[in-house]
Amino acid sequence: MKINPELVTRVLTKFISEETRKAGFERVILGLSGGLDSSVCACLAVKALGREKVLALIMPYRDLDLEGQEHARKMADLLGINYRKIDISPQIDAYFSAFPTDNQLLRGNKMARERMSILYDFSAREKALILGTSNKTELLIGYGTIHGDMACGINPMGDLYKTQVRELARYLKVPEEITSKKPTAGLWPGQTDEEEIGLPYEELDSILYKLVDLRQSPEEIISSGFEKTKVKRILELIKKSEFKRRMPPIAKISSRTVGHDFLYPYDWDK
Amino acid sequence: MCYFLVMKIAIAQFSPVLGNLKKNLTHHLELVKKAREQRADLLVFPELSLTGYTLKDLIPEMAISLKCSDIFSALVEASTNIDLVVGFVEEKRDNPGIFYNSAAYLARGKVLHVHRKVFLPTSGMFEEGKFFAAGKDFRSFSSGWTKTGLLICRDFLHYCSSYCLFADGAGLIITISAAPGRGVSDQESQGFETSRMWELMGEAISFFSSAFVVYCNRVGVEDGATFAGGSFIYSPFGKLVTRLPYLDEAFLVQEIDLEEIRRARKSWPFRRDDRPEVIWQSLEKIIRKNNED
Repeated sequence: MKINPELVTRVLTKFISEETRKAGFERVILGLSGGLDSSVCACLAVKALGREKVLALIMPYRDLDLEGQEHARKMADLLGINYRKIDISPQIDAYFSAFPTDNQLLRGNKMARERMSILYDFSAREKALILGTSNKTELLIGYGTIHGDMACGINPMGDLYKTQVRELARYLKVPEEITSKKPTAGLWPGQTDEEEIGLPYEELDSILYKLVDLRQSPEEIISSGFEKTKVKRILELIKKSEFKRRMPPIAKISSRTVGHDFLYPYDWDK
Repeated sequence: MCYFLVMKIAIAQFSPVLGNLKKNLTHHLELVKKAREQRADLLVFPELSLTGYTLKDLIPEMAISLKCSDIFSALVEASTNIDLVVGFVEEKRDNPGIFYNSAAYLARGKVLHVHRKVFLPTSGMFEEGKFFAAGKDFRSFSSGWTKTGLLICRDFLHYCSSYCLFADGAGLIITISAAPGRGVSDQESQGFETSRMWELMGEAISFFSSAFVVYCNRVGVEDGATFAGGSFIYSPFGKLVTRLPYLDEAFLVQEIDLEEIRRARKSWPFRRDDRPEVIWQSLEKIIRKNNED
């Protein structure tokens, strides 16, 4: 699963510059959390388009992830890109004072969708295409908010596992404090992805890589030394989250239906 | 017998505009001009060079009939002083609604040969069989330079395709391609891992057919897939003559000495010793046996 980071950088910068142009944009915008994925994505965008074409939004909720905010600012300064800090606390608090809940997942999803809504608004204001930062690990196990952090114009990161993103980050010289910290979705203070998912990214990615890329059967993976409960749990996560990776099914009643047999490329006439 | 017959082959490793015949024709004609300025004898474009690759339901709109298309006429006319290999969606006038992924060899203002892609990749990321009809044969033709055969992308990865051209006497096998790259774990390579399989085949087919192999692959990104570039020419001795860069647009004119075909066949009599009738009889037996209940 090792990657050639130089080649990956070349491919992804080409992807960003070509697909941005084909989508009719000259600039891109992304949410910068101060985590690994958005930091790497910002680096790639700067390499592809130049720093003046990249706009970052830092969208904290209160002091939920102060370290993340600090890292995001540091990353933006390091790359010399324009950024704006937009506090999402007022609208989130207003909503939850009307519909209170202690469920951190509900609160986290709402925040992710608030950030999405701001990104789309700024995308239109600034005429900048939204870069998605969901990686392959997240997409496969559904560790993301549908119509929240998963929403974007194009996604340069979606075929790289989390551990591969980290490898790329080191090549792109993302500061060590960002590459080595425990990844967090920022759902509640001190939350880490690995604790919530239940296994470390290295192990999760190894299992996913064997299942998906090498097309090994779960039995083969278990017999090669991985715990049965972990493999089964990952399979369950993949199965449960297919709806996050697809457009919703459309009821077919005519002879030609959007999504079924009305099929055109994104890059039509581009 | 002439002992030094130089042919200058131009390879246009470029990225067509998806679903825009007019823009692509203009670009083709610009490249024809460029190739002529560099005194090329033949200019090879990639697969579906006139239309782009990821067409899906655009295929009927892009279809061209050889006999009644202004776009195609313009290319045929452009071939008066230079040979061209172009890729396009073909629909025959007397067989409407059937679309082929085709390649044409144009020379001296005429269509010398048309190959319709036989092996349509339809699995994983590929869905050609959903939209195209499959071609039915592999034939060599006389280009005026040497006996030549055309293949389109996946055709080349089925080695029997090249064998048919070899059995039919081809000294020049031209493959036009729109091959997206996959695999990025090779630490040494500047290109995708899948580029290796094309080179492997290029090396093997050129050597064992004692023929030149010209491979023209496109570049650019369509709907997230990155086409790998890395076009190449192998000599009849299986030696790499030239390779264009991976991923980046490039234009190259390369001289080849067609006498190399003869030299290779003097050293390695694969062609003389070929027994197509034995292959044919064996295949017939295999096919008959495998179709028995």
